[in-house]
Amino acid sequence: MFRRSLAAGALALGLLATGCAGGTSIGANPNEGADGTGDVTGNIRVSWWGSGPRNEATNAVIDLFKAAHPGTAVEGESADFQAYMERLNVQASSANMPCVTQLQGRQLNDYTTKNALLDLQPMIDAGTIDVSQIPPEVLDTGRGLDGKLYMIPYGAAYDALTVNRTLAERSGAGLPADGYDWDAFADWLQRAQPGLPDGIKAVGLGGGLPNNFIAYTAGRGASLFADRQLGFSEDLLVEYWDMWERIRGAGVTTTPEADGEEPDQTEQRYVAQGKVLADNLPGNALTPAQKTLDGTQPGQQLVTLPLPAGPSGSGNVLFTSGFSIPTSCDNIPTAAAFIDFWMTDDGAAKAFLSSNGAVTNTRHLQQQLDDPNLPATKRAELQLYQKIVAQNPVSVLYPPGYQASFEGAFVRAYESVVFGGTPTRDAARAFMTEVNAALASS
Amino acid sequence: MIFGRRRSRNPLVIALARHALLVAVLVVLLYPLLWMVGASFRPSNEAFGTLSIWPEHITTQNYVDGWSLGNLNFSRFFLNSLAITLLAVVGNVVACSMAAYAFARLTFPFKRTMFALMLGTMLLPYHVTLVPQYVLFNELAWINTILPLVVPKFLATDAFFIFLMVQFIRTLPQELDDAARIDGCGHVGIFRRVILPLSIPALGTTALFTFISTWNDFLGPLLYLVRPETWTVAQGLNGFLDATGESAYGPLFAMATLSLAPIVGFFLAAQRLLVEGIATSGLK
Repeated sequence: MFRRSLAAGALALGLLATGCAGGTSIGANPNEGADGTGDVTGNIRVSWWGSGPRNEATNAVIDLFKAAHPGTAVEGESADFQAYMERLNVQASSANMPCVTQLQGRQLNDYTTKNALLDLQPMIDAGTIDVSQIPPEVLDTGRGLDGKLYMIPYGAAYDALTVNRTLAERSGAGLPADGYDWDAFADWLQRAQPGLPDGIKAVGLGGGLPNNFIAYTAGRGASLFADRQLGFSEDLLVEYWDMWERIRGAGVTTTPEADGEEPDQTEQRYVAQGKVLADNLPGNALTPAQKTLDGTQPGQQLVTLPLPAGPSGSGNVLFTSGFSIPTSCDNIPTAAAFIDFWMTDDGAAKAFLSSNGAVTNTRHLQQQLDDPNLPATKRAELQLYQKIVAQNPVSVLYPPGYQASFEGAFVRAYESVVFGGTPTRDAARAFMTEVNAALASS
Repeated sequence: MIFGRRRSRNPLVIALARHALLVAVLVVLLYPLLWMVGASFRPSNEAFGTLSIWPEHITTQNYVDGWSLGNLNFSRFFLNSLAITLLAVVGNVVACSMAAYAFARLTFPFKRTMFALMLGTMLLPYHVTLVPQYVLFNELAWINTILPLVVPKFLATDAFFIFLMVQFIRTLPQELDDAARIDGCGHVGIFRRVILPLSIPALGTTALFTFISTWNDFLGPLLYLVRPETWTVAQGLNGFLDATGESAYGPLFAMATLSLAPIVGFFLAAQRLLVEGIATSGLK
């Protein structure tokens, strides 16, 4: 009896395992070559990530679109970023992605390589989506590995060195000079530390932060990826971690334990709490970070600066968010019209007000900067974006599997250095082996 | 020696020491909860500035702002959660008790195999069946309805509760069934007149655990209830957070505090049954 039960159980588990092991492609593309022409009418779903304020801004744009296109109905779907991605992956597996789906460059190729998204170039060629006001290097962040345009970037985020200006001035170190590099950054931290209050470190330990390394790589003219493999050398990674170990050894960083405990949400970051002098934060986090600092350390002011440069120039790269149309969409003309409206309508841009990174339409960007009522922190975010774009930032093409493999492995590898005492060379080798294997199989 | 050489045998001293220890442990356990309640009365941008429970500047604005999230308000989310939770409780109690009766009392071919299979489903992580389930419910056009969250409960899909009740029913004397059968009861009569009235502790435990897990469930509603007007409380709370922008922690803590009320209330009402259910079903 037991054997029979065991056999039946094994069979059931086998069937389940077989059923769960599906292919990786979503299927055929019935809309290949669609140019978005046709009647703008009927129902579409639009999805995005964000919380209350961004939801309200997005809903305001949706209302404007519906008013401009009578006969259309738009259903919005939103969630926090992580939850949004979890849901989107499940929706994609069932060919049920919303007709207008918000994505980031970092996840784009997880979907393009599975034939889940439409090439949007035919819509641009047909004039149904206008991208003439988007800088080419920004537009390129919406391209897939095959060079086709799968996402129209509408908001550009970037990482910035967020500095507590008040503490920096009190320390006597001031702010890093324009065009500072990583050596100057390390030197500035060491000059600032003695003048900081007890318990406040000059910088959050950043050796395990992937975005810091991306900036380091860009500043040295190296490629982060080459097709579906890592594009930089092991030596470069060792050099980068050795630099952070020297900074850590100088006693100017938070401890690895404190760094490991630091939450991701802007409001809980140490620099927003006034617990460190400087750290790498998304540039568009300045507004919520300053609001938090106003509550915890009244009177202190934050300022954002470009990340350290390198011998090849700026280390800043753009992380864009944009809209894609899935191959399963059954109302492409309305989806294309919605994206075009979002990208080109002045009222829509004013309603959204760069709520998810700086608006990529240069006309809208100037309109917002010209608005005397623009909040000071938002103005600083947009001005820094303008400055970064003027330096022709490197466009990083992320292969499929980047988010799942690179970021977690990077953090783990550096933690093995700071917690386990692993030599940086060994950690770098292990990281590259692991990530290259994961990317190759994605 | 600073303290006395031998332990006091005074019952009052022993009781005081024991209670002091229990209160100390209780304070440690409750501290995060109390901190959250305190933070819900602090201005949003002061939420994380202190470990103190008592707010320096007291405000009730978080409750006002939190209750009116976006174009909706939290009363809608509470109603949605309540409807789903109550249906799930009814479904699990009815369906799991019937399945448990079958496994505990009936004789049928492949009973042991099916019981083993049923237990085997407990080994499957939820994420394994997530995508096939979504595909199925999408094909049935059940997205944006509560059906995917409720209908499975009426099909006895929670193996844990079936197992719990099987264990409980097995402790009930078979002679009661025989006596009922002599009095003319069939299986329906035995189940309804004998087993169910004696299984109240197990049913209460099932109801309580189902209530808590359904009320707190986030992933299920996230996948199946995408329109804001269909959101549950858990989704509403998530609506205050955004790792890529601005989060509203004050309103989050305020609504999180309110969202605990139904769970605490249900637990207080059902705790006697929970203790009896755990004690008598052999679960540890």
